[in-house]
Amino acid sequence: MQPGEAVQAAPANPGEGADGAGSAGRERGGRRVVVTGVGAVSGFGWGVEALWQGLRAGTTAIRPFRRFDATLHRTHLAAEVPAAPASPAERPCGPAAARAAAGGRPLGTLSLADRFALSAAGEALAAAGLGAALRTLPEGAVGVFFGSSTGGMWESEQFLAGVFDGRRGSLRAIASQQVNGPGDAVARGFGVTGPVQTVSSACASGALAIAAALESLRRGEVEVALAGGSDSLCQLTYAGFNSLRSVDEAPCRPFRAGRAGMSIGEGAAVLVLEPLERVLARGAVPLAELAGAGSACDAFHMTAPEPEGTGAAAAIAAALDDAGLAPAAIDFVNAHATGTPLNDAAEWRALLAVFGERSGRIPVTATKAAVGHLLGCSGAIEALVTVLSLARGELHPVPALPAASATSGDGDPIDGACPAALVTGRPLALPAARAALSTSLAFGGSNAALVFSRWTGASP
Amino acid sequence: MVTALGTAGAHGCGRAGLERALAAGAPPPATEVDRGAGYHRPGGARRALLTPVAALAPWLPAAEARRMGPPSRLAVAAARIALAEAGLDPAQLAGPGTAVVLSTAFGPCSFSEALLRQVLRDGPESASPYLFTESVANAPAAQIAIACGARGANVTLCQREAGPLLAVARGAAEVAAGRAERALVGAVDEMPPLLHAVLDRFGALAAHGARGSEAREGPGGRCRGEIGRPLDRRRDGVVAADGATVLLLESAAAAGRGGRVPLARVCGWGSAFDPSAPPTGWGGGGEALGRALRRLLRRCGAAPEDVGAPPAAIDRIVSGASGARAGDRLEARVLRAAWGAAPLPPVLAPKGVTGEYGGGFLAAAVLAAAVAGVAAAPAAGFGEPDPDLGVSPHDGSPLPPPRALLASSLAAGGAAAWLILGRPR
Repeated sequence: MQPGEAVQAAPANPGEGADGAGSAGRERGGRRVVVTGVGAVSGFGWGVEALWQGLRAGTTAIRPFRRFDATLHRTHLAAEVPAAPASPAERPCGPAAARAAAGGRPLGTLSLADRFALSAAGEALAAAGLGAALRTLPEGAVGVFFGSSTGGMWESEQFLAGVFDGRRGSLRAIASQQVNGPGDAVARGFGVTGPVQTVSSACASGALAIAAALESLRRGEVEVALAGGSDSLCQLTYAGFNSLRSVDEAPCRPFRAGRAGMSIGEGAAVLVLEPLERVLARGAVPLAELAGAGSACDAFHMTAPEPEGTGAAAAIAAALDDAGLAPAAIDFVNAHATGTPLNDAAEWRALLAVFGERSGRIPVTATKAAVGHLLGCSGAIEALVTVLSLARGELHPVPALPAASATSGDGDPIDGACPAALVTGRPLALPAARAALSTSLAFGGSNAALVFSRWTGASP
Repeated sequence: MVTALGTAGAHGCGRAGLERALAAGAPPPATEVDRGAGYHRPGGARRALLTPVAALAPWLPAAEARRMGPPSRLAVAAARIALAEAGLDPAQLAGPGTAVVLSTAFGPCSFSEALLRQVLRDGPESASPYLFTESVANAPAAQIAIACGARGANVTLCQREAGPLLAVARGAAEVAAGRAERALVGAVDEMPPLLHAVLDRFGALAAHGARGSEAREGPGGRCRGEIGRPLDRRRDGVVAADGATVLLLESAAAAGRGGRVPLARVCGWGSAFDPSAPPTGWGGGGEALGRALRRLLRRCGAAPEDVGAPPAAIDRIVSGASGARAGDRLEARVLRAAWGAAPLPPVLAPKGVTGEYGGGFLAAAVLAAAVAGVAAAPAAGFGEPDPDLGVSPHDGSPLPPPRALLASSLAAGGAAAWLILGRPR
């Protein structure tokens, strides 16, 4: 197949084609896919290094915030993205990309989620060494696969507040309100002409988008994929999760006995994915290999996970099968770990089902404890952190609990009913980790899992 | 293989009403939209093609409906209609072999609006957990999974008008890769008054014109009277619709085991993006999108290698032309660029009947591909060719069933998706 053919012909007999069910993704005739660049915006700031340094220091970005008046809400904390760098030179996304993303309209029409996405994509492309080179690739060779839960909902809220008060409101305020806004903004900003799709499957959106990119790359539909997600803090989700009593009044405490809910965050994460042979041919060095992906649904309840974690376990098993790896090959887990009593218990049951007696010994980290729950982007930012952990040989700790919220000793003890080997205190050195798992368990029962392998320099 | 089709819309529940409307070349009656909020434009759109709520009752018991938002109700009803057509009990779908892939252009906006009204006017603590639960875009796909016990992949796509074809592609990929034995795929959208008003304010909807007018000539020769006129010189916007369409996709083996006669075969799919498009409109990248479409046709063996010769295998096009001024212009340019100097096969433009959004277009495309599908009818709303387009819809003269059909859908914002449907083998 020629590069840039963003097309797919179905086998003559779907399900009976050469792919063959049940075999590993690599053996299905697909190409090996690696991560060559990453970009992030989070409560720790604009850029991957701000995120990584915040994580490895064991600090949290969950704190009082300014986006809207939280005093009337039940809880008062969130991991809000700080103001963008004042200097254009410090912004990963240049003004040309921002102007292109706005489609000839004022830059003010870009939503916050659009801006997060553009910044993360610009940083990821630069890290991959593809900044200017992107437009020299064959037509249709680059695709965008994005996850978002609410897109430009924050801007829509400003518009609707006016409408509810009987004012007309400016249409400019909702020009980018759509859920597909951030993904489209990235495509527009960087001149993408291949497939562009936005997944909106709640908290699994980012992981499902990365899975879609993996499939597209394996099949040769695209040569470069920008995969990730973006969501911004807004009143709808903040009040909505509070209405479910799913939000902790303190920073979330995944897998702890006293956990009382999630913390909401915002931001964006983008992974540049490419086929391995292309990366080696251009002399670039992969950060990690995206070895497999899997998904499955609980089909149980709109908001509660299936208590035994059956759907999550099926997604993990499918991802391992897709990667051609046994559970024993997984050396650490970046868990979905929202900190809600039900999620963490179900996720633990899923890990137990897949990893058996090893479950309590596999190091587990919970990125949400530091940057909050990024909703449609959570699967993407946790995938990004998993990649960095493999590339840098260490796993970030969950933040230390402040004494005021500790129920005993140095904080909440790990819940005896879900005794995950949570990394605490300081980063855990894992220089020889072979492969890692990142999980996403969503509203509506949609589960997704991604398996990444450490890049060892082996030839394809 | 597409082995069943469930659809709910202004035509009612089930495909019979839609087939009748398509055969007659006339849309079902439109409903007056509540304009009490005063947000519509003066002289703007007043009507939409809305699903009669009572029509859902046989497919959705009241006790179940009360726990769902409007899009979930439409989607679950459409899924059950498809399963009934296939002769499948939902219990037969339970398990990891059934995937669900839906698309929605705007998500569950009425519940989002109601929730925000509570939060912004009455205070955050008045937020209803019920409204929030059903305000997420993936609620309809999740409710279908719960209703059927479908434990395969569950994915919701948001890509405006390109979403329905992308959802079919993603579901077909699940089946083709062997990850699922079957997939329920499709599209769902609601059309509450505020969304209708916002689309009207953006100038997306066919205008009503002067009071009581029908088919009046408006400024610039555009036609008023709230009629979707795909590819017509006088077109001035789309007629908005709600509804849901859910297809049952199965492997050939599964369809055979179940004794189901396929409606159509999914032969291929493709997508592309036009970065020149503004966030809420269509761009000028017709030539590039045309090249992407041509690559799809070539890949599927539907186009010869020598550029300029006709892609003979495609003998029918179901166009997503909707009556949008710029959207139809781009659609025409893409098709002309893909076919080059060769004449286009007959072009059907069903959005004059189905309206825009709500999955009606997807249902119409499958019905057009089915061997026993509806007869070609003159395109609803079409009367005057647009010389600027160079593409006109089929005139309604008798046509044989298509061997291979191209469905084309270009989205506001830049995305494009295509699907090739063929005769079952």
